[in-house]
Amino acid sequence: MAYAYLFKYIIIGDTGVGKSCLLLQFTDKRFQPVHDLTIGVEFGARMITIDGKQIKLQIWDTAGQESFRSITRSYYRGAAGALLVYDITRRDTFNHLTTWLEDARQHSNSNMVIMLIGNKSDLESRREVKKEEGEAFAREHGLIFMETSAKTASNVEEAFINTAKEIYEKIQEGVFDINNEANGIKIGPQHPTTNSPLSSNQGGQHAGGGCC
Amino acid sequence: MFNNVPFSFTDYLLSNNHVNSIIVHKFDFSDEEIMAYYISFLKTLSLKLNNHTVHFFYNEHTNDFALYTEAIKFFNHPESMVRIAVRTITLNVYKVDNQHMLHYIRDKTAVPYFSNLVWFIGSHVIELDKCVQTDEEHKNRGKLSDLVAEHLDHLHYLNDILIINCEFLNDVLTDHLLNRLFLPLYVYSLVSPETRIIFLNVLLLCVLQVFLIIHYQPLVNALADVILNGDLSVFICQPDHASAGGLRRFIKPPESLERSLEMSRHRGRKRTQKRPNYKNLGEEDEERAGAGSGGGELEEGWDDDKIEMVVMEKGKASELTEQNITDEEKTAAATRTHTQRSRPFLDMVYSALDCTNDDYHALFVLCLLYAISHSKGVNRDLLERLQLPVPDQERRSYSMVLVERLIRITSQAALPDGKVRLATLELSCLLLKQSVLSGSHCLIKDVHLACLEELSYMLSSQGEEIFLDMFEDEYRSMTSKPLNVEYLMMDASILLPPTGTPLTGIDFVKRRPCGDVEKTRKAIRVFFMLRSLSLQLQGEPETQLPLTRPEDLIKTDDVLDLNNSDLIACMVVSKDGSQAQRFLAVDVYQMSLVEPETKRLGWGVVKFAGLLQDMQVSGVEDDSRALNIVIHKPSSNPHAKPLPILQANFIFADHIRCIIAKQRLAKGRIQARRMKMQRIAALLDLPVQPSATEVLGFGQTATGSPSGLPFRFYEQSRRAPNDPTASRSVFASVDKVPGFAVAHCVPQHSPSPLSSPSPPSSGSGSTGRCDSVTASTTSFQSPSALAPSLTPASQPTISLLTDSSADTLSVESLTLLPPADSPHLHPCAAAHSLQTPDASIMEDQREAYREREEEPQEEDGSLMDETETDATVKDETTETTELITPTDEGPEGADQQGDDASLGAEMESTTATESVEDTGGAEMHKEPADSPELD
Repeated sequence: MAYAYLFKYIIIGDTGVGKSCLLLQFTDKRFQPVHDLTIGVEFGARMITIDGKQIKLQIWDTAGQESFRSITRSYYRGAAGALLVYDITRRDTFNHLTTWLEDARQHSNSNMVIMLIGNKSDLESRREVKKEEGEAFAREHGLIFMETSAKTASNVEEAFINTAKEIYEKIQEGVFDINNEANGIKIGPQHPTTNSPLSSNQGGQHAGGGCC
Repeated sequence: MFNNVPFSFTDYLLSNNHVNSIIVHKFDFSDEEIMAYYISFLKTLSLKLNNHTVHFFYNEHTNDFALYTEAIKFFNHPESMVRIAVRTITLNVYKVDNQHMLHYIRDKTAVPYFSNLVWFIGSHVIELDKCVQTDEEHKNRGKLSDLVAEHLDHLHYLNDILIINCEFLNDVLTDHLLNRLFLPLYVYSLVSPETRIIFLNVLLLCVLQVFLIIHYQPLVNALADVILNGDLSVFICQPDHASAGGLRRFIKPPESLERSLEMSRHRGRKRTQKRPNYKNLGEEDEERAGAGSGGGELEEGWDDDKIEMVVMEKGKASELTEQNITDEEKTAAATRTHTQRSRPFLDMVYSALDCTNDDYHALFVLCLLYAISHSKGVNRDLLERLQLPVPDQERRSYSMVLVERLIRITSQAALPDGKVRLATLELSCLLLKQSVLSGSHCLIKDVHLACLEELSYMLSSQGEEIFLDMFEDEYRSMTSKPLNVEYLMMDASILLPPTGTPLTGIDFVKRRPCGDVEKTRKAIRVFFMLRSLSLQLQGEPETQLPLTRPEDLIKTDDVLDLNNSDLIACMVVSKDGSQAQRFLAVDVYQMSLVEPETKRLGWGVVKFAGLLQDMQVSGVEDDSRALNIVIHKPSSNPHAKPLPILQANFIFADHIRCIIAKQRLAKGRIQARRMKMQRIAALLDLPVQPSATEVLGFGQTATGSPSGLPFRFYEQSRRAPNDPTASRSVFASVDKVPGFAVAHCVPQHSPSPLSSPSPPSSGSGSTGRCDSVTASTTSFQSPSALAPSLTPASQPTISLLTDSSADTLSVESLTLLPPADSPHLHPCAAAHSLQTPDASIMEDQREAYREREEEPQEEDGSLMDETETDATVKDETTETTELITPTDEGPEGADQQGDDASLGAEMESTTATESVEDTGGAEMHKEPADSPELD
């Protein structure tokens, strides 16, 4: 499918906060309640429209890579947006946000848009983290904030789309270097502006040395 | 498709070999989405690998491991996410402790994969280098930082493989890295500029990154040994390694990874072929690989290392023995070994430490030395033999060559126009401490002194207020953010030639200073670093810094004896509307709000304490009994908006109490700042500086009676004939305190008006008298006041100072203390007195006389104009600005111009009406000042 831009996202946060469920809800519009820690959805893609432009979102789940430093840092760098997820029914997942954020800020490029997401908002009765706390954390660290429920699909679309809007705005402002694919942004093949040799890559397996 | 399927069912599916047929299916990988799903699928599978499930993927009998071999074909895919997935898959595979599988990987895939990987990394470095070399005006920075980050990713990936500690994979990998990449491409290029394809900085960065990231001993130690100890013979073709693999060359693998994987599949299990270019530690290694799987890895690693070293130095056996001799006598080693044998790489490294033109290379060399000395993988003996700095270790000698060069860097950093960046200096201090600390004696006294001179010069060119804030601020930000070499070396911008402009967004410590304020900041930091270095080398503790130590301050809930203290009762209404009855007490550095202690009479419990220096006081418009007080938290980031820790209205019993409180706070603030300035002056040993005698004077007087000073000023003005005006003018000056508190809390605004006056004043041959007047009158008001008075006075000034009238002034006025104003305040406050104009005319005549000698034709104009000025100013000035009028009386129009302008600027920030008047005054002066030139 033709698209104007492709944005790469990553989803980060403690295990069990519903990262995979968010992804599944966004890409497949379904909710899978059985949570198997060992199997996670690894990848998802969906087309959205912003400002009349088709934009493809690629979401790479980073599950299971925490043990390798090289992998963590590469993932952060390759993404234009990150959803930082915590579980509103588990205070510890909220407390770990600082560590996640530090990691993200250290490894990512400085323009990466980070959205803070308090997931499982349907479980109001078991809530341990107040919405205001999430808001305050987001404000303090310059993030966008939203409470979502992967189960009821509440705000899930908005979370992904608002992040995309933010990235899109940054592109319009010229903050992102869109010809540099390392930022997690790719110009679509049909885009009127000339593609850099890198982005018009043939996608072959053996492009030889020197590609980045 | 397999995601979310119950585990046992997955097992079933996998066991039927369907998965493998899916894996080897040739999808259309040019579709990026198919590619992404495919590689994610493989990654998901790899995450499920363990000793049990590996059999579903790895077939021992057919020698098939499609999951792994298919995945690694994408190791250099253009899409970064795919490459990351491939790396994840390989790591997940290596992690599985299955000997058969690992043997398969080593025998069938390790050589092709690693040789291609190494080539890929090497090509990447060359691209990085191209990017640096073609850079113009830092335009490639975005791309460069990606390339550097990518290179770091590679090294981290290699390190992650090595950490898994699958020993025989590590052997293959180490061999390839060392002989195909590190030695031929990085190290060899260091010494041969004519054949060097890669820029020195890129090389140094690449080498030092290896040491920073990888700690695998056999690899790192061998590399360090060549750099520190080796010579070119390492690269001479050795007969027993004459086969293609034995050559240390950076060459493209003969065939693509996919092809070589194909070939090795068809080759069958013949031992001779499995490691065609692996070195001769074969047999022994084989046995070990069979025997020990888990335990004793450390020991084996050590053995490996030995073998590696012997292999490497086989071609230079003679040198090896020579080296052994020198090992015995370590004391004289550094110089002797240096002369005895050639160490081209080490020589190269040392010579790059030269900072005469710039510290472009030096920064990298310092980081390299730091990285080598901190690497866990480098043999301590190797470092000691070369007397390189080893952290936390006893030693009796140090490398003279290195220490000399380090000292040279520090002394160059202390020069006024030194090209050495702060990061470079900090690193060389670090290494210097490491090198000589156990041989404790101070080497750098002279260097230190040079820096002091520089700094006191800087101090004199900056305003008092801003300087203090900068001084404390720099100390805070320096101690809160100690240098991290790893982070420093992640920044691609250091690869480009050092620049001075902050517009590039390069961090302050990684570039040269831009403008006076940054130069001062740099000088302050240089001072801190050299001070800490010299103290540490002398084994003395730091007693003076930081100026504000938390343990010296009054804290909340402290109980104080407040008998005989001045207390003012007030109601504190904070911003959120809460009220509290408190007593306001002003200490030397702090103001505190106390509440009576219930048990002891006359004691109080502190409910709030804040630094006076960070305080702003302003009146409340509709309430004459109230003051608005804001105290900011000192922030380490000058660009961050200061965060108020107290923001409240204080309501006093009546107008008088309110005025008293306001005065006490304002004066306390000035006094607190002045005390700190004195301490800085003492720190800088300012008395030695002839140009800084003024500061010394003010220091002496102030220490004599610190508390009395502001009050003496107050008394002075009260004694003046027209009491109301004088006291009002005092208030006027107090009113201004919050004004420039604002000004320096917003540094991006303040430096320009505040620092601008100093250059013109020093250039225009200011007189001591004029300066001192400006300084003393404005010392309550203007942060820039110090600037003119402290700048080295030019010749004519001295001649004027010898005048009797000026002489009496100079002693006092140079102290910068309010009492110095007295001779001026009196005539000024008594506006009708004719003395002042007379005096100024006398001055003018002298001035004119001096000028006549130089330029006779100007005489009349300047004399007349300047007298006129005085008259005009008299008319124009209102009572509130009377304190400033003495400034105007000074004979030098040009000088006043600057000062007045600065005053005007400050006024603007306080009261609109005042500023109008004052800038009006300043403008008035421009005319006469300019007119002589016009004539």
